[in-house]
Amino acid sequence: MSLFDRIERLMGAQPKSKNDAKQRLKLVLLHDQCDISPKRLEEMREEIVAVMQKYVEIDREAIDFKLHKENGKIALVSTVGVNRVNSRQVA
Amino acid sequence: MPQCIVVTSGKGGVGKTTTSANLGCGLALAGYRVAMIDGDIGLRNLDLILGLENRIVYDLVQVIEGECKLKQALIRDKRVEGLYLLPAAQTRDKNAVKPDDMKRLIGELKETFDFVIVDCPAGIEQGFKNSIVGADRAIIVTTPEVSAIRDADRIVGLVEAHELPEPELIINRYRGGMVARGDMMNKDDILEILAIPLIGMVPDHEDVIISANKGQPAVFDEASVVGAAYRRITQRVLGEDVPMPNFDRQDEIGFLATMKRWMGLAAREAV
Ligand SMILES: Nc1ncnc2c1ncn2[C@@H]1O[C@H](COP(=O)(O)OP(=O)(O)OP(=O)(O)O)[C@@H](O)[C@H]1O
Ligand SMILES: [Mg+2]
Repeated sequence: MSLFDRIERLMGAQPKSKNDAKQRLKLVLLHDQCDISPKRLEEMREEIVAVMQKYVEIDREAIDFKLHKENGKIALVSTVGVNRVNSRQVA
Repeated sequence: MPQCIVVTSGKGGVGKTTTSANLGCGLALAGYRVAMIDGDIGLRNLDLILGLENRIVYDLVQVIEGECKLKQALIRDKRVEGLYLLPAAQTRDKNAVKPDDMKRLIGELKETFDFVIVDCPAGIEQGFKNSIVGADRAIIVTTPEVSAIRDADRIVGLVEAHELPEPELIINRYRGGMVARGDMMNKDDILEILAIPLIGMVPDHEDVIISANKGQPAVFDEASVVGAAYRRITQRVLGEDVPMPNFDRQDEIGFLATMKRWMGLAAREAV
């Protein structure tokens, strides 16, 4: 960090707000385009996880569930962590 | 081939009327016959921005209701050959007009004009539907702000649902100093999000207010940066390949600029 940068920071320079704008816009547009609110998405996640739990033991700390856009197409991308059953039996 | 262009945005107050007026005048200056329609029924303003407010006799609703002929309602702008305005009704509401009426009216105008420019009202209700129904092409105006961009994205979807070609984007009220500082999304950030072709950028500038005060669109003013921006937009609308100047202001960043800003010395109107 240069001296000037350091002084700038001392003078209260904020992190660039346009990055917040961009990130928030991208997310809200994904939800707008699918017509599903973040709240509804969460409800869907809970329901899907409940179904999965009938078959495998889910690691609740390792669930990633979100809308994703690539090449203009929107996808629901999810990674769900599964606990290893044998390790539990050994323990 | 005659063409009807709708200027729309979703969000209000982002520069549709300013753009319609400048584009209409720009096309007429380029030698085309242009009819501008104020689609904002009940809240007309295009007449005022063009300085034609004292010359209104009939309006769009009266034409549609058969109270007068289309020709009688068209106001000729004396500044340029071939430029006309069809004003909106001020004391009626937008439900006085149906999409089919607009379609017929625009069809009729396209028999005598090269371009019909429709200044769309804000929102996505009846007034939007009326404005878009006769269009062959849509220009979406946005500003570099989250709410305007979100609404523009909605409009992109609606334009596509109306089976119009891909809309083109104008980024208005661009502030190069804020962009350089990272406090405003730049051109590429916005294009990454909206993913439609860019047809122009207009700086945030006092000339817009001054020209509105006078009723003389900036495109007539050879010395104006806003006028220059709209002259380039006009050329691009006509299919010419005009490079996009860089509006970002690097002189607004760095230690000295921060120092000035901190001490309240930075020029307020800096774009
Ligand atoms: N590039 C600019 N620089 C500075 N001021 C601007 C600029 N563009 C628009 N404005 C101001 O913003 C206001 C709204 O502009 P305008 O009437 O063109 O927007 P609009 O989209 O037609 O609004 P509405 O949705 O109400 O019809 C006006 O006061 C105008 O002077
Ligand atoms: Mg307007």
